[in-house]
Amino acid sequence: MGQNEHLRNFGMLAVLIIILCVLPSNINLYQRSVILFTMMYVILSLSWNIISGYTGYVSFGHVMFYGIGAYATGILVVDYGWHWIATLGVGVFVSFVVSLCIGFPVLRLKGPYFAIAMLGAAEGTRVVATVWESLTHGGEGIGLPNVENSFETYFAMLVVMLATIIVSYWVGHSRFGIRLNAIREDEIAAESLGINTTFYKLSAFALSAIFPAAAGGIQAYKILYIDPETEFFILVTIYMKLFAMFGGKGTVIGPILGTFILYIVQEITWVKFPTAHLIAFGVFIVLVARFMPRGLMGYAIDKGWARKGMVH
Amino acid sequence: MQEKAEIRSKYWLALFLVAAYTVPFGIGIYTDNVFFDLQWLADLTTVILNGIMQGGVYAMFAVGLTLIFGVMRIINVAHGELVMLGAYLTWMFFFYVGIDPLLALFLTLPIAFVIGVLIQKLLLNAVVGGPELTPLLITFGLGLTIIHIVEAIFTTDYRTIPYAPDALQISESINIGRSKIISFVMASFISISVFFFLKIHRIGKAIRATAQNADVAMVCGINIFHIYMITSGLAAALAVAGGALVSIQFGFNPETGVLYTLQAFAIIVLGGRGHYIGALIGGVMLAVIESLISFMIPNGTAMVEIASYGMMVFVLLIRPRGLMGPKEN
Amino acid sequence: MADAEIALDIQNLKKYFGGIKAVDGCTFQVPKGQISGLIGPNGSGKTTTFNLLTGVLAADSGEVLYNGENIVGLRPYEIFNRGISRTFQITRIYREMTVFENMLSASSMKVPLREARARAEQLMEFVTLTKLRGEYGGNLSYGQQKLLEFARALMTDPDLILLDEPAAGVNRTLLNNLLDHIHHLQEEQGKTVLIVEHDMNVIMNHCEKVFVLDYGVKIAEGLPEDIQTNEEVIEAYFGHK
Repeated sequence: MGQNEHLRNFGMLAVLIIILCVLPSNINLYQRSVILFTMMYVILSLSWNIISGYTGYVSFGHVMFYGIGAYATGILVVDYGWHWIATLGVGVFVSFVVSLCIGFPVLRLKGPYFAIAMLGAAEGTRVVATVWESLTHGGEGIGLPNVENSFETYFAMLVVMLATIIVSYWVGHSRFGIRLNAIREDEIAAESLGINTTFYKLSAFALSAIFPAAAGGIQAYKILYIDPETEFFILVTIYMKLFAMFGGKGTVIGPILGTFILYIVQEITWVKFPTAHLIAFGVFIVLVARFMPRGLMGYAIDKGWARKGMVH
Repeated sequence: MQEKAEIRSKYWLALFLVAAYTVPFGIGIYTDNVFFDLQWLADLTTVILNGIMQGGVYAMFAVGLTLIFGVMRIINVAHGELVMLGAYLTWMFFFYVGIDPLLALFLTLPIAFVIGVLIQKLLLNAVVGGPELTPLLITFGLGLTIIHIVEAIFTTDYRTIPYAPDALQISESINIGRSKIISFVMASFISISVFFFLKIHRIGKAIRATAQNADVAMVCGINIFHIYMITSGLAAALAVAGGALVSIQFGFNPETGVLYTLQAFAIIVLGGRGHYIGALIGGVMLAVIESLISFMIPNGTAMVEIASYGMMVFVLLIRPRGLMGPKEN
Repeated sequence: MADAEIALDIQNLKKYFGGIKAVDGCTFQVPKGQISGLIGPNGSGKTTTFNLLTGVLAADSGEVLYNGENIVGLRPYEIFNRGISRTFQITRIYREMTVFENMLSASSMKVPLREARARAEQLMEFVTLTKLRGEYGGNLSYGQQKLLEFARALMTDPDLILLDEPAAGVNRTLLNNLLDHIHHLQEEQGKTVLIVEHDMNVIMNHCEKVFVLDYGVKIAEGLPEDIQTNEEVIEAYFGHK
């Protein structure tokens, strides 16, 4: 029974991948970049979901890992002449190390305090990126060499997205994920029943930190200009959080679904009503948090369209 | 022993605070920004006095946050946005109607109270006592909405209110801006009034009873949802008053609210969440640290934010109950 | 005490909360392979003792020897991994996880998934929760949650099982089943069980040895029938005559 379900899910994933592989040569530059950014937000919201959805540690500062990745690429490409693909590895590694250093103290904070401490960590990183001019070029930002890269970045993003989905899928269907859930539900019980919560929280945090770094790096190479304000922009965190929450945090499908729906909606409204769309997003967060905290997948579960739990 | 851990955390907190106050001096010496001549000492005194004045205002709007936390266990991350809103309200009355910023308080405070009550009634009443993160997300979305509505109306340009721009000479080389002193006096007056309201007035007592134990308060015939709304209204009024007093000292734009939330949060964590006097002390302490940082560290103004974050995170890690907060289990 | 081996040797355990001496120099030995009871009036420190034994609370001083090793100061999961499992007074099942996931969460990662699944199925069958395996833990009735917690505590086949008020809120038939199973564990597999319970029937009929706590100190121990007539115990429960 479990076997068939996995096959069906991977079938669906394969169809999605095939579509996304065929698509870029048949659409224009603008559409290509919209899909690229949609994929990026799939990566971000799925990553956020690992620490915040599965583990229950809601991060308000996940943009920091994205920014670190972007800066790793920007600095290494411009100042050290690296090939951009190689820089992604460095971004991921730095992000990994940073996540462990920050996670160790901050994951001891509970609920809202963790959320706000992460907000602080992200803002702090932004300030560092602004102040440490010798490394980051400070507030004036970094311009990357201008080359046509819409295909390279598209496929790189696709690969990273695939990796994120597979890892999320594994987390969402394994005892590892169940243990993260247990920490979310009741940390004291989890600890008393044999779960080394420190280890699992840190692992989840590190997992959720590495993919955004890769996404940030690719994105930096795509848009060719980075500065602290855009790379550590709080709106990026808001988006990933909202997409995941809307789709249903703590599930694999939820964040993917949420991103595909909401990112496209925001792309359309963004062009037409630049300010109103941000107001609408604020209102939307309020409504989602107040009236459908479990998102679309929660609704589907209540309706009986999807099963409760992740391991059956 | 339990007591031992308790005392140890107190010492750690003290140590942390000493470090927080000395590090700016250390960096200042390292970067050659510290000279031990008379002029520098006078400047330092000015900076510290200014910090204390500013701290009074911080403390006042932090008190709003601590009230909400104390009564409902909710962290209102839109609090700073209400401060920002207060600044804009004052600015509007000043420029469009020509009302003195302090007199405008008589108009802005009732408006703020109504806003607070509405927020509570429409959004928060239903989630008090539920999962802690829901109100956080709700107020976060609310803050975002307020920021962008204000931005749509007033753009992101910085605004200022030219009010009492001259400085008061205390000694030959020490002086303090008059607007700062006015703000401090006003803030102290409002904070003390609210304190006595809570201590003496019937409703104030009901608020404190609800903060102690909502269930018991309910059994004693207190309509706690009523109390929640009054608390929220009061908190919003304190935030908006804070905004008014900030607006006559500094420039502001729609995004400054985020920093105020942060400062207020750092203050109530330091003072002890839900503790009134703690918030007042915390406000002054944070403001003084901020002044020291921007005075002695090059690029210090950008670092001010880090001071709040650092303060908050460290205090939460070392001693979650802060200086005077109640013990948690 | 010479009659049985000792499973858990508790020496002078202390825990103060501010000025309240929750556990104040508690000393007793839980015999191996038996069912023991821990009783005492409300607030006598029974649950605190449990929390100290399982590492949820850090003891101020004292020792707890388990298989010759002092387990005071270990993290709760380390104690659990040494074979001490527990249930909670107020159930702490994972509310937004299914019954099956609740079970699986307690399985050791060293055990292959297939085996863990089989064991979970078997235990769910035993506590009659198989039909609810896909339901959220939070949707179960209180009694069912108690049963789930009990089953979950057995997932790793622990040697020592600490049960905090297993009878509260569980109906008679189920309770008898549960107690039968506890007896089965003890008799056939040589498990040690320590029960905190207010239901004196459970204590008197099922425990071989009873410890009585009052104000954080052990005031009596012995066979159930001796405890019933012990002056000090009666005084602790009913006050001075």
